[in-house]
Amino acid sequence: MSILEVKGLKKTYTTRFGGNQVQALKNVSFSVEEGEYVAIMGESGSGKTTLLNILAALDKPTGGTVLLDGKNLADIRESAMAEFRRDNLGFVFQDFNLLDTFSLEDNIYLPLVLAGKNYREMHKRLEPIAKQLGITQLLKKYPYEVSGGQKQRAAVARALITHPKLILADEPTGALDSKSSDELLDLFSAINQDKQTIVMVTHSVKAASHAGRVLFIKDGEVFHQIYKGHHTRQELYQKISDTLTLLTTGGDRA
Amino acid sequence: MRKSFYPKMAWSGISHNKKFYIPYFFTCIAMVMMFYIIDALSVSSVLVRIPGGETMQGMLNLGKWIIGLFTLIFLFYTNSFLNKRRSREYGLYNVLGMDKRNLAHIHFWETAITAGISLVAGLIFGIVFSKLAELWMVNILNGQTDFKLRIEGSAIRETILVFLVIFILILLNALRKMTMASPMELLRSEHTGEKPPKGNWLLALVGIVALVIAYGLAVTIEDPVEALTWFFAAVILVIVATYMLFIAGSVTLCRILQKNKGFYYRKQHFISIASMSYRMKRNGAGLASICVLSTMVLVMLSSTICLYAGVENIMRERYPRDLSYEVHVSAPKYLNEESEANWRQLMEETLQESHLTASDVLEYTSAFFYGKLEDYNFRMKDELIDMETNESTAFDVDEVYVAPLSVYNRVTGEKETLDAGEALVAVYGGSYENNTDTLSIHNDIHLNVKKVISNFKAIHMDGAVSTKVYYIFVPNFDEVAEKLAQYNMAQYMTENMENVYFKCYYGCNLDGSDDAQMAAEGVLNNKFAALDASQQEGIDYVRYESYAFNKESFYGTFGGLLVLGILLGIVFVFAAILIMYYKQVTEGYEDQSGFVVMQKVGMTKKDIRQSINSQILIVFFAPLLLAGLHLLFAFPMISKLLLLFGLNRTQFLAMVALGCYLMFAVCYIIVYKMTSGVYYRIVSVNNK
Repeated sequence: MSILEVKGLKKTYTTRFGGNQVQALKNVSFSVEEGEYVAIMGESGSGKTTLLNILAALDKPTGGTVLLDGKNLADIRESAMAEFRRDNLGFVFQDFNLLDTFSLEDNIYLPLVLAGKNYREMHKRLEPIAKQLGITQLLKKYPYEVSGGQKQRAAVARALITHPKLILADEPTGALDSKSSDELLDLFSAINQDKQTIVMVTHSVKAASHAGRVLFIKDGEVFHQIYKGHHTRQELYQKISDTLTLLTTGGDRA
Repeated sequence: MRKSFYPKMAWSGISHNKKFYIPYFFTCIAMVMMFYIIDALSVSSVLVRIPGGETMQGMLNLGKWIIGLFTLIFLFYTNSFLNKRRSREYGLYNVLGMDKRNLAHIHFWETAITAGISLVAGLIFGIVFSKLAELWMVNILNGQTDFKLRIEGSAIRETILVFLVIFILILLNALRKMTMASPMELLRSEHTGEKPPKGNWLLALVGIVALVIAYGLAVTIEDPVEALTWFFAAVILVIVATYMLFIAGSVTLCRILQKNKGFYYRKQHFISIASMSYRMKRNGAGLASICVLSTMVLVMLSSTICLYAGVENIMRERYPRDLSYEVHVSAPKYLNEESEANWRQLMEETLQESHLTASDVLEYTSAFFYGKLEDYNFRMKDELIDMETNESTAFDVDEVYVAPLSVYNRVTGEKETLDAGEALVAVYGGSYENNTDTLSIHNDIHLNVKKVISNFKAIHMDGAVSTKVYYIFVPNFDEVAEKLAQYNMAQYMTENMENVYFKCYYGCNLDGSDDAQMAAEGVLNNKFAALDASQQEGIDYVRYESYAFNKESFYGTFGGLLVLGILLGIVFVFAAILIMYYKQVTEGYEDQSGFVVMQKVGMTKKDIRQSINSQILIVFFAPLLLAGLHLLFAFPMISKLLLLFGLNRTQFLAMVALGCYLMFAVCYIIVYKMTSGVYYRIVSVNNK
């Protein structure tokens, strides 16, 4: 059963003073099955971020539909949107987006507090997640006190704690050094093993090579996709870089 | 580089940061204006001609320097805030190849522009409004003036000089900070991630202790003179406590709340408490400043309004009758029917010549001495002096009048009778602290106290309002006076020192104008001076008192205090508004990204608005509430201080204080609404 279905998605931006129209997404369709780990790749300006924003219900498409777990995002009222996001989606951002005012623990609790959960339940949920992510010792610390990798792990914990249907990751390794990146990607893989669906937007070939499927976007359209299938990570890595070379040198669809 | 380059850079820097510079300009202009107004009034030729004006001007002169000093501190504070916002820009210029010297040039021009604008505009407004202020002051003093606009050259010169010095100091400080920073530091100074402060228990505790001590002082002090000496200590303690409570106490409180998981992890509290504790360390100082300024405004306004409104009361305490004289003689034998009639005659002639009619006439003779009540006994001045050092061992001696019982009956309209050896004690400005029936004077005259009256109305001349006065009414005044005279004589022989004075008092109320009354005092003076030698026998000296004559200086003093209170109040309110505004703006920029994040993780717009509201509300109204509490506890002390001025109307003061507080609260809410709008606008920019 597909948990996410994107059909004929279009997004056109009109520049501030009218006139020029920029088409960020022309026609994007794909679906994500439950438990899948999908990476979306593309160059800057290819429409990746726009796509992610629409999937996150942070932005509205000009045309087309997004079905999450069979529910059309367009049908959700504006006022219920935030709540919907909180209950169904988990976010991991490039720049972590942790609040400086909260300790890591409180940052992780934030969506649950907003959902009105009591402390005991929150705590119960946090324990296994913190253990899995290896941040149990860091929970009382504040964002400014820990490294980027640790921050990102806390952000992942924040995304996981609501038991979301889908985790959306926007360049999660973008601000991390290579060691932290590897650790984070291993974590994502481990989370995915536990049947967590993940959609990740990334530039990094290495990050994408951890996914089960890689979608390539070019000029607002899905240009190509690669399944990991029985390939090893190294093989997938090679195939991704080949595709990217093709993409950048401007070749036609392989 | 071309000459016009730096001014242009400076100007574009200012106009690109309008949001910060416009309020800053307003403040500078307001400060210049206030300084000029006060300065101009203090040298105004119109005021100096009006009776009481000189007293007022002396007070304004003092206020001028208070404002100057406050302006210096305050503009330093706001300017450092501006520089912090600007330093990113300077950092960029620096990276792009301007050296520190170029930056200093831009800085110089910015300061020059600021100084130019604020001085020109401030002086123009100052000249216009000083006329208004002048009319108002003249009105307070019941004087006359025309409607000509006057420009006080010396005040303009002084204002320019003072503000140039202030601006130069500000520039030097900014340059000093700039030369110390590296370009990267400049670039990043706005975004140095600050750690959330730990609750500082010690500071919070010190703050609470300081506050308790200050409040304790304010509540427990009974004596007005003591209140005056301790007032400034209490003020300083309160200021220190306010800063500590806002900076450390609030963080500590938030930490305590955070420990309570059931409370903290609730949607309504979670975000507000966390961000409050986060920002209190920095913004606590701003809030504390707002609180201190508010308290100052409230205390100043309520006390000065009260004093001014109560000036008639104060004067009646001090000058019970419109016109009075007091003849001091060296022995009771000189106080006889004949000489008293002589003196009375002089007064009556005077009134006749001045076409005035007397009413409420009070005439009596008394014996007077300085004494201290110890163990049912009044010790006299000589008994209280250390013979070796020749210094008084008692600082707070009271005044004691011994007078015939008939005086009491005449003043009160009662019909008290006493036997010889009995007495009736009435006390002005305090109560009688002696719980036995007996009372003696220098252990010689023994009296049985039949009746005690506290807070008796003053009937003497030259009453220093803060001292306690005992009236001992006896039926056999002549006898008692004679005994006192004998004692006095003995003392005079051995120690060349007089303890007891004998007086004849005459006072009456008059129906004529102030001018006529003042003239009458002069006539009376001349008539006494013209007494021939035989008539003058025994007279030590004569004193006169005219209510009308002293009215001016009283109105001058209290009117001056009122004007000063209001003008300083305006300055402080201005400062408080600016601090509030800057606080909202900085916090808005700080919170912008946070709210974006919160929306992404699923916070609804409604949640955000609610959380902002509750947070701003608490943070904003904390200073107002604490200021109210300060005022409440300052109240007993203020009422004691007003007692020093002779104002004894606690209820009236309470009403004035409450009125001031309510009015202030309304203004505060308006300013809050205005500035919180700024905050919303900034925060919601990225929230679409």
